[in-house]
Amino acid sequence: MKLVLDHLTLVQDNFSLTAHGEFLEGIHLVSGAVGSGKSTLALAIAGLISFESGSVLRDGIGPMMLSFQFPDYHITGMTLEEECVSWGCKPEEIFSPSDLHGKNHQSSFSLSRGELKQFHLSCLLNKHYDLLLLDEPFSSLDCESKKKLCHRISYQTTGITIIFTHEQVILPRVDRIWEIKDGKLLDRGTLPDAIRRWCGASSLIKKLIAQEQIPHNISYEDVLEAVCRT
Amino acid sequence: MIEIRNLQYRTVHVDHLDIPHGITTIIGRNGSGKTTFLRLCAGIVVPDAGTILIDGKPPRQTDIGWVNEFPDRNMLFSNVRDEIASPLRFRNSTPGETDRAVQRIADRLGIQNLLSRQVQSLSGGEKVLVALAAALVFEPGIIILDEYDSHLDEKRYLQIEQVLVESGCDYILRCTQQMETAAKSDYLLMLENGDFIHEGIPPDVFPLLITTIFYPLSWRAGL
Repeated sequence: MKLVLDHLTLVQDNFSLTAHGEFLEGIHLVSGAVGSGKSTLALAIAGLISFESGSVLRDGIGPMMLSFQFPDYHITGMTLEEECVSWGCKPEEIFSPSDLHGKNHQSSFSLSRGELKQFHLSCLLNKHYDLLLLDEPFSSLDCESKKKLCHRISYQTTGITIIFTHEQVILPRVDRIWEIKDGKLLDRGTLPDAIRRWCGASSLIKKLIAQEQIPHNISYEDVLEAVCRT
Repeated sequence: MIEIRNLQYRTVHVDHLDIPHGITTIIGRNGSGKTTFLRLCAGIVVPDAGTILIDGKPPRQTDIGWVNEFPDRNMLFSNVRDEIASPLRFRNSTPGETDRAVQRIADRLGIQNLLSRQVQSLSGGEKVLVALAAALVFEPGIIILDEYDSHLDEKRYLQIEQVLVESGCDYILRCTQQMETAAKSDYLLMLENGDFIHEGIPPDVFPLLITTIFYPLSWRAGL
């Protein structure tokens, strides 16, 4: 399966974005500055907004899901259990292993935003999707939860997972890095070479590059390993 | 000084806490009570028991700028310029003063290009910038930021950090999940299940967290 963006052009009030490239099975990172169009691109790939020209081809792709940046946008159930069922999940699978044990009948809005994001991602990642689009999945999560999410994302051994984020410290291992810059989606390539071409890398990674201590990948553990080499 | 005594509200308990002038950052797990504590300090909610005094006055008698992590929840107007101007208009500032102040804060934050936009057309990060402009436009003595950096890229974050430092606010109170941000604070507090388990300057607190992921990666690198 593959996702093909064929000379896609997105035009909105204040910016335009062009995207051309193929996303094969694996985990992809799309990074970019605030307002660069990450969420807009995610919406276009999901077929939720129209575009000016070009096409989005989802070749051989079956089930697809987009996780919005703000988990509030997903809520349809009055209680956490209703919300859980609305995702097609069994409550015992979501509540038992999590910190939410015993909160089944609470309102979805009774949780802190970080807890709500954790809950939303637990429901979403309980199922397999051929194409999984995660818009800022790490926002609102604490450091421990970000790390757990990275492990969870790493389980996506099949299908195409695309992470749209500006998170720079706690990330999963990825297969390819893309970057939105000056209105274009740029393919930075596969790891580890992509790291050298990644303008949006953290200050720490840039310092490591300057010292020729290139991390093998962009996960916290990989960067930590590179740090320990210095 | 922000003096907190015998505070109790839902899961948050603080017997005795003094927060000095400068940038204070609160860290902790999701659900530990960070937002609840910030809402108490902002006067958005009042404690069931105990007191919070900011230079001797309760929060509701203090000019406080507030930025919610989900800014949509606090935005009242559909147009960005109106949203930023609203705190001044509610204070009966003249149209001329309001226009000049809006322009000034937009220049400082680099968001002049957003002024004519509709709020709903903004990206998540842009909404945070607009909420920050609205919080700073009336030059409050204290600004409270609830994970404002969660939706910002590094370049924007650094720009805003500079604006905050130059804002003249006596107190900047914030929570964050970016430990590199927390490391740049004057004072650091760690919450766990509603109780502050650590407090002090970052070089005193972070060594207590060295075995956890809360310890800043740049410190491990010695950078």
